[in-house]
This record gives sequence, structure tokens and C-alpha cells, in this order.
Amino acid sequence: MNLLLPVLVFFPMAGAVASYLCGRRDKRLRDTLCCALTAVEFALSAALLLAVVRGGERAFALEGFCAMGLTLRADGLRALYTAIASFMFLMTTLFSPEYFRHYHNRNRYYLFTLLTLGATVGVFLSDDLFTTFVFFEVMSLASYPWVAHDERAESLRAAETYLYIAVIGGLVTLMGLFLLYAQLGTLSFAGMRAAAAAMESPAALYLPGALTLFGFGVKAGMFPAHVWLPKAHAVAPAPASALLSGILTKTGVFGILVVSSNLFLHDANFGDVILFFGCVTMVLGAVLALFSTNLKRTLACSSMSQIGFILVGVGLQGLLGAHNALAVQGTALHMVNHSLIKLTLFLCAGVVYMNAHKLNLNEIRGFGRGKPLLHFAFLMGALSIAGVPLFGGYISKSLLHEGIVEYIALLGEAGQPAGLYRFVEILFLTSGGMTLAYMTKLYIALFWEKNAACQAEYDALNGRYMNRLSAFALVGAAVLLPLLGVQPNVFMTRIASVMQGFMYGQSPEHAVAYFSAANLTGAAQSLCIGAVLYALIRWLLMQREGGVRVYADRWPAKLDLEEGLYRPLLLRWLPNPLVIALTRALDELTDSIVIALRHTLLGQTKKHGPVPVGTHLTYALGTVLNAIVVLLNHTFYHRRPIKTDFTVALAAGLDELRSSGRLISGSMSFGLLLLCIGMYLTFVYLMTLS
Amino acid sequence: MQGDLSLLLPVAAPLAAGLLVLFVRAFDERRTRNLFTGAALALTVLFTLPALLRGQTQLTLFHLTDTIPVVFRTDGVARLFLVLIAFVWAMVGFYSFEYMAHEQHERRFYGFYLLTLAALMGLSLSGTLVTLYMFYEAMTLLSLPLVLHTQTREAVAAGVKYLLYSVFGASLALLGIFFLQFYCTSLSFTPGGTLDALKVAGHEPLLLGIVALSLLGFGVKAGMFPLHAWLPTAHPVAPSPASAVLSGIITKAGVLGIVRVLFFLVGPDFLRGTWVQALFLGLTVLTVFLGSMLAFKETLLKKRLAYSTVSQVSYVLFGLFTLTPVGFVGALLHVVCHALIKNTLFMGAGAIIEKTGKTRVDELVGIGKRMPTVMWCFTLCAVALIGIPPTGGFVSKWFLAEGALSMGETVYAWLGPVVLLVSALLTAGYLLPISTRGFFPGEHADLAALSKAEPTALMTVPMLVLAALCVLLGMFPGALTSFLQAIAGGVL
Repeated sequence: MNLLLPVLVFFPMAGAVASYLCGRRDKRLRDTLCCALTAVEFALSAALLLAVVRGGERAFALEGFCAMGLTLRADGLRALYTAIASFMFLMTTLFSPEYFRHYHNRNRYYLFTLLTLGATVGVFLSDDLFTTFVFFEVMSLASYPWVAHDERAESLRAAETYLYIAVIGGLVTLMGLFLLYAQLGTLSFAGMRAAAAAMESPAALYLPGALTLFGFGVKAGMFPAHVWLPKAHAVAPAPASALLSGILTKTGVFGILVVSSNLFLHDANFGDVILFFGCVTMVLGAVLALFSTNLKRTLACSSMSQIGFILVGVGLQGLLGAHNALAVQGTALHMVNHSLIKLTLFLCAGVVYMNAHKLNLNEIRGFGRGKPLLHFAFLMGALSIAGVPLFGGYISKSLLHEGIVEYIALLGEAGQPAGLYRFVEILFLTSGGMTLAYMTKLYIALFWEKNAACQAEYDALNGRYMNRLSAFALVGAAVLLPLLGVQPNVFMTRIASVMQGFMYGQSPEHAVAYFSAANLTGAAQSLCIGAVLYALIRWLLMQREGGVRVYADRWPAKLDLEEGLYRPLLLRWLPNPLVIALTRALDELTDSIVIALRHTLLGQTKKHGPVPVGTHLTYALGTVLNAIVVLLNHTFYHRRPIKTDFTVALAAGLDELRSSGRLISGSMSFGLLLLCIGMYLTFVYLMTLS
Repeated sequence: MQGDLSLLLPVAAPLAAGLLVLFVRAFDERRTRNLFTGAALALTVLFTLPALLRGQTQLTLFHLTDTIPVVFRTDGVARLFLVLIAFVWAMVGFYSFEYMAHEQHERRFYGFYLLTLAALMGLSLSGTLVTLYMFYEAMTLLSLPLVLHTQTREAVAAGVKYLLYSVFGASLALLGIFFLQFYCTSLSFTPGGTLDALKVAGHEPLLLGIVALSLLGFGVKAGMFPLHAWLPTAHPVAPSPASAVLSGIITKAGVLGIVRVLFFLVGPDFLRGTWVQALFLGLTVLTVFLGSMLAFKETLLKKRLAYSTVSQVSYVLFGLFTLTPVGFVGALLHVVCHALIKNTLFMGAGAIIEKTGKTRVDELVGIGKRMPTVMWCFTLCAVALIGIPPTGGFVSKWFLAEGALSMGETVYAWLGPVVLLVSALLTAGYLLPISTRGFFPGEHADLAALSKAEPTALMTVPMLVLAALCVLLGMFPGALTSFLQAIAGGVL
């Protein structure tokens, strides 16, 4: 039992409440408090990482939490990702005070940010799928206010999509967990692995596995559930976008890794499926990013594409089986790289937005001129993500590329056709090229081109476009990128070997020669493709308007899965008029039977008699009573005479009696009363019998 | 009268208090009446505690005939319902003090509110089917004035409909009593059932039919299709505290009836694998879907919540009809969760009506800015009703689904969980927009128009307590689940 683990999870959550209460009184103090809280969280997670690297795993269990228990465990990958997550939250929180200075509802933002931090750490430290799921759901809901924060129409719409896709993903995963638990009897990672290994064929696990995967895939932004990602990341405030892109997508990847390495370890079928979705995500994201003319949207689509790269790695792990050392390391490293890169790039986007309040490339072009810090940070991110040698992204992409090459070689040895995987390799290199192309597009637009409309305005900001705290956050994130890439054997290899245990990977037999000719050739091919594509962009995706070449949004608006398929499917086709009519009919079934009976069998129709007339009997009785009353009025009641006309009263009474009689005899309860009487008779009969 | 006389207290206290409120004119004065009612409610909760702590005791009130005693007994199920109902009833009661101040005839309302509680206490404590039936009918009749309260045309029509459905249901239950009296060795509730195998032999088809009818009868109160239609009619017209308890508690009386007949008289073994089980699994699954779908399309907030109740109580019934221990635990857990959740949701709807007069869902844009505490409770409970961890609704859904999957080879083993999840999605669809639009009105919202309308602590504290309980119950359900597992172990 290590209490540091639950503290890492619940400390930020308690801090969230504290910051909210604090923020209602003093906003500056709240900002400081949040920075301090995230700093403490980072320090704690760093301490955990050190402890794990030095002395092995740490575990914690809380029996009976949510009925199934909460288990946390920190091994290499989990401790490292906890540290990365808290690092990213720290950096974005340091950046937030300046970014949000003109915003409303900051208290809400900080509350949910800290809640999300706790839940995210919970996901990364979980040791059974149940715990993963619990924190995953908390995280999904707690991050909703990020997306909706601006409350513009498109933010609310994107947030709606985010929420419902998250809910749907969660429910589908839950179904998967139901099935898994019913089949395996446990959801702990080690237990599932043992139970799955003991099964004769993994086929029975494919359905629950696929369902579980769906929810995690949604969060990771895997095709075809990626639709929320570009929209949500683009509309959220920049610090939140950095976290959504850099770390929340990784919780999805984490879930996928849990499934792939515990349920389907070295399963080639599973590998093929993930590889397929990975390729589609990778290419589609990159193409969308090429077409995008919005800074944050480009970065968001890029995230999607990079997640595709990671998924290709996961797929390769399954395909390569026991020889998957390179794929495992590539996957792990690309996760880390992408987190850090996207932190830097989205903070850059944040700097742009908090000064210019715009994100469209045509409006912000030239913003970065004469801003060396921003220039440096953006360039580091761009070079790294494009896979340029000496940067982190090059290392991980090379490993993944080697993985594909290795699998093609394996197939060749076995004499099997490998054409399909050669195609995958081409897609992989092309996507790498597209990464370079869209990052160049952003880079040139921001830092080299001049803005025809407001260049002077942007230049006037030079030297005072961000305060020291924001600069620290930005540069702090950016310097890591070349640092990691220049000495890969010092940092990258170590990180990879710390992380690979989670995926049951082995260290490769030989130290990887990251800068070997083969790897450099791969990168060069990719970069050449990128250069060509960038030329194409300038040719095809720009047009001349009023003497200025501007970026044109050429992506056909109709090609939108969400608007074209998902929303109509969920909102119009599934609850279609037929289903609605059917449910309405069923709803009113009993009532309509009762009404039908009243109108037919019981002959009960509405009749309105005008004035009560009565019968001879009532008239006679009424006359007699009237006479008595006259008598009484003269004797006993002469002070307060009775003024009722009994002929009329009796007639009215009779009418009432008749109508209620009709009502009673026509009502179901009368029938029931008769039924009851019948049953009472039966009852008496039975009792006399016994 | 012999046995543990303390069992009379939870019934006698609200009964006496209710009669006093009804017939003593001094209680027209609001302050006095509210203090008195509050004290009576608190006292009733207090009186349930001995039953909870002392384990199983019994009290024979009197004999209808030599063979038909009227008995109170505090077995596990009785204790669960006793404490739950008394507690929630008291919470809603405290809440109603502020709400009812703008309604007429408060004295009558509180009189019947207390009397209904007395009937419910008796119902929970019932140790035989005849006792249960007596209190069941009493509950129906005493709760009728709560529905009729506003005395408008719709209220009277809704009241008549409520009465009609309830009487019909009760009569079917009564039919069951006649036959069970013959086929059971005793009508006293015994875990696992009391069917007399000798008498039953050869008459199984008849008895199955009778049991089905009888369960259908109790299902009326639980809002099970096809006899659910009273719920969406009665709830919108009743005052909000009344709708809250109608939805959260009175429907559970039907559940209690089904639990008693199914597990304590007929016995699950008699029904397992028969057409009756299949029929009710089918009906409950249909109701779960139907209720959610209708709620999704409904625009009147209270009616939407009423349809939601139709759906949610059938979660419970589905769990019961799986006839598995896990399903049983899930069902009773969901009884507790749904009681907490739905009362809070209706209290939220009531607070909105009381403070802003808004009844339609589309009028609630920005409501979270106006009454943040109320809407926080509403949101938490909405999340719990969808079944998102770590709330109570999630835990019960987990048990329900695992119960269904442990049924083995039937279509409902997987259809049940699937429908539960589809319904959860619809639940998200009909509850979450209220919260999201309430808290995120959009940048063009007129912030000046969104003046604070938060009710006083009298209203918010009961909501906070129930919402917090619902979340805590989800995080630490251990005590309750082991209690329920012990009951389940006895009956299955």
C-alpha cells in the first residue's frame, strides 16, 4: 500500500474545491493557489517516478470503492505518464492567468481543470479496467466545461458533440466491461491477462474487446469516432486545447494499450484491425490538417494524425508478436513526444490568440515576426513533430517505421505476400510528409509572411506580447523537445525502457542506431514528400484576393461525418417518426382501450339534459315535502325559513344520481368492484372449504 | 397484540400526527403546523432506528379470522424500505414547507402527507400478504388527496385516473391473495417462498397465470407497461413535493409488493424459466425503453421526469425478474438510488417552478446561473441517473447488468444490458441538456435577466443531502451491498 498514489489522484480534486471557494473571494490568490497546487502535484508525481524507476512498482487498493474496488499501480509507463500529465497541467496553469485575464467564469475553468487533473492521473495510475473506467468517465464529464467555456455558438455545439460522443463511448465501453467481467471474472490487468491467456481461442473476447476499445478509441480520436476532436480542440481556450490534445487523447491511447497488451497480446488479427484504423486516422487527420486554414484546427487535426501514428504502432505490436520491441518503443516514445510537442504548439497558439483574438491563418499571418521566443518555441514543436533528425519526433517515427519494415521482412521470410504492408509504409511516409507540409504552412504564415491589414499592429506588440510566467511556461515546454532528440540514447532509450514493461515489450537485442543510414533515408523520403506537398499547397490551396495570396478553405463542407451522418442518425433516423408513433401508441394503449370500451360496450356517451325535470314520483314527493316545509316555516323555522323548492331539488338529485350511476356502471372501477365482490365470494368459499 | 410493541411507533406517530393536523384548526397557522409536521417526520425517522438496530422482531396486531393474522415483521427487506421511506419522506417534507407556502389548503396536504407516511410505514413492516394488502389500499386512498390537491379539472381527472389504475392493480393483487391463501402453506413472508408442493402439483399452469396477474397488479404502482399511464398524468398536476414522493417512493410500494410475492411467497424457483419470467422480462425491458423514449420527446419538465420514473422503476423490476442474486442486489440498490435521485430531481423541478414559474424544458436556458445550488444537485442526480461513475446509479446498473448476464442462455441476458445502456443514452439526452443549457446559456445570454433566484436553505439542504448521499452511496456502497447480499442469499 502506497498512499502517494491516492494522494496524487485526490489531492487535485480537493484542491479544485479549495480553489473554487478561494476564487469567490480573491481571484489573484486563486490563480496563485492553482499554480501552487499543480506544482505540488508535479513534484509528487516526479517523486513517484523516481521511486518507481529506482525501486520498482508501487500499488494501492481501496476495497469496495464503487462496489468493485479501486486499485492503483505505478509501473514505469504509468508513473511516467502521471508525471507528464501533471507537468502539462502545471505548464498550462502557469500560462492561464495571462491567457484568461479578460475571461468570465475563470473560477469554473480552474475548478474543472483541477478535477480533470485528478481524474486523468486516476486513469493513468489505474490497475484494473473498472478503475480506469470510473476515472475515465469523471474525466470526460469534468473536461466538458473546457470545450464549452467560451459559450459561443460553435463552442456550445462542439461541446455538445464532445459530451454526447463521450457518453456514448462510455456506455459502449461499459457494455464491453459487463461482458468482460462476466466472461473473465476479473478486470484487473494482470488477472485479465492470465484469464485471456488461459482461454483456448481469443475469438470469444473479440466482441467485448471491440466494445471496450470503442470508448477509448473515441477519446483518442480514432476514426470513425474522431469527429469531436478537431472541433472541440479548436474552440476550447488554448491551455485547455493543449491538455485535450496532449494528454486527454493519451488516456484513450492508454485504454487501447491496456486492451491490446492484456487481452490481445501478440494477436495478429487484433493488430490488423488497429493498424487499419490507425492508418485511416493517420492519413485522414493529416489531410484535414493540410486543408485547414485555422491555426488551432490544424493543430487539432494534426493531433488526430499523430494518434494515428501511435495506433499504427499498437497495431504493429500485435502483428510482430514476440519481435515487437521496436514497435513497443516507438509507440511509447511517440506518445511522449506528441504530448510534449502539442503542449508547446497549443501554448504558441494561445499566445497568438490572447493577443490577436483571431485564429484564421489569413488574419494572423505575420503575427510572429520579430517575436523570437514565440518563434523559437513554435519552430521546436514544428521540427519535432515533422520528424526532422535531432528532434524527438524523428526518433519515435523512425522506430515505428522500422517496425513496419521489420514486419515486411518477416512476411518475406515466411514467403507471404507483403504488398499490403508496403502500402502501409507508403502511407506512413506520406503522412510524415504531410506533417511537415502543414507545419511549414503554419510556420511560414505566422513567422515569414506579412499581414496586409494589420502588420503594424502586430509589430507593435513585439517585446510585450506575453508576461514572464507565460514565457516561462512556453519556453519550458519547448526546450525539452530538442533536448530529448539530440541525445536519443541518453533520454529516449531510457524513457522507452521504462515504459515498455506495460506492453510486455523487451529491450531490443542491439542498441538502436537512431542515426543509421536506413533511418535517415526514411526521414529524408518523408521530408522530400513534405516539401513537394508544401509546394502543392501553395499552388492549389491559395488564391489571389485583392492582390494578396490568401489561404483558401477548399475542404468540401459536405464531407463532415458528424453533420452528414452521426447527428441525423442519432437525432432523426433512430428516433424516427415510426418509432415515436409506436412508443406513443404503446403509451396510450391502456387508456385507449378504456375509452374504446366506454364508447362501445358500455354505451357511455355524453348527454346533456337542459333543466332537471324529474319524474312524477319526484314531483309528488317534492310537493309533499314543500307542504311540510311550509308548515315548518310557519312554526319551528319561522325565524329562518327554509327556502328550497323540493320538487326541483329532488329532480336535480335524481339526475345526479342517474349520471353518476352511468359513470359508475360505465367505469372500470365498477367492473372491478364486481370483480372484487366475486372474489370475496370465492374467498369465503375457499375459507369454508379449508 | 403480542410481540415487539416498538414496531407500532413508526406507524402510530405519523398516523396520530396526521389526524391531528387534519382535524385541529389550530394547525391552520403555518408556523405551528410546520414545526409540528417537521417534528413528527423527524420522530418517525427516529422510530425506525430501533427496527434497524434490533434485528428481526415481530408484532401480531390482531387476527382478521383465526387463520389470517395481521403481522408486522422487520426482516431485511422491511428494514430497508422502512428506513429509506421514512428518511426520504422527511427530507421532502422539510423541503415542502417552503414550496407549499404558495399553495392553498396546506393543512389538508400535510394531514394526508403524514397519513400516507403511516400507511407506507405499515406497508414496509407488513409480515403477511393480507397485512400488506391492507396498507397498500390505505396508501392508495390516502395519497389520492396529494394528487387532487390543486382541485383543478386536470387534477381531478388525474386523481380519478390514479385511483382507477391503482384499484385495478390492487384487485389483481387481491385475486392473487385468494389463490395463494390456498396454495401456500402460509401467507406469512418467508424467504424462498411458502408454496405447498403437494397442492401445487398438477395446477402449475393455473397458478402461474394467477401469479402473473397478481404481479401485474403490483406492477401498476411500479409504473410497468401496460399499466403505467397514471404516472405521467398524475405527476405534472400534483404539487412538486407530492410528485417527488409519488415518483420516488409510492412507485417503490409496487416494487415491495412484487418482491414480497415473488421472493417471499411464490419463490423464485417456481418461476425460473417459465413463461411468466419471460413475459415480465420482456415487459420490463419494453418499459425501460418506452419510458426513456417518451421522456426524451417530452417537453414538460415534470412529465419528462415522470416518464423517466416509468423507465427507471422498470430497471428495478428487470433486476428482480432476472431471479439471480446479483440482479436482486442491483434491483434493491436501484430502489435506494432511484428514490434519492428522483426525489432530488423533482425537488429541483419544484424549486424552479416555485421561484421562476417555468415548467417547460426549453424555458430553462441559464437556470444554472439563477439557482446554482439547485442545479448542481439536479446535475449530480442527472449524472447518477444516467449511471456515470462514481455515483449510486452506476453501481446499481453494474449489478443489474451483471445479474442479467448471469442468467445464462436467454435472449434477455444480453438484451437487458443493451437496453439499459440505450436507455442510459436517452437519459443523458433528456437530462443533460437541461444542465448544460442551464449553466452555459451562451455568450449572447442576457446576464442581467438572469437574476439570482436561489431558494432558501429549507429547500436546498434536503436536495443537497439527497444528492450527496447518492454520490457517497456510489463511492462506498459496501455496507448496503453486503446487507442486500445477505437478503439475496436468503431468498435465492
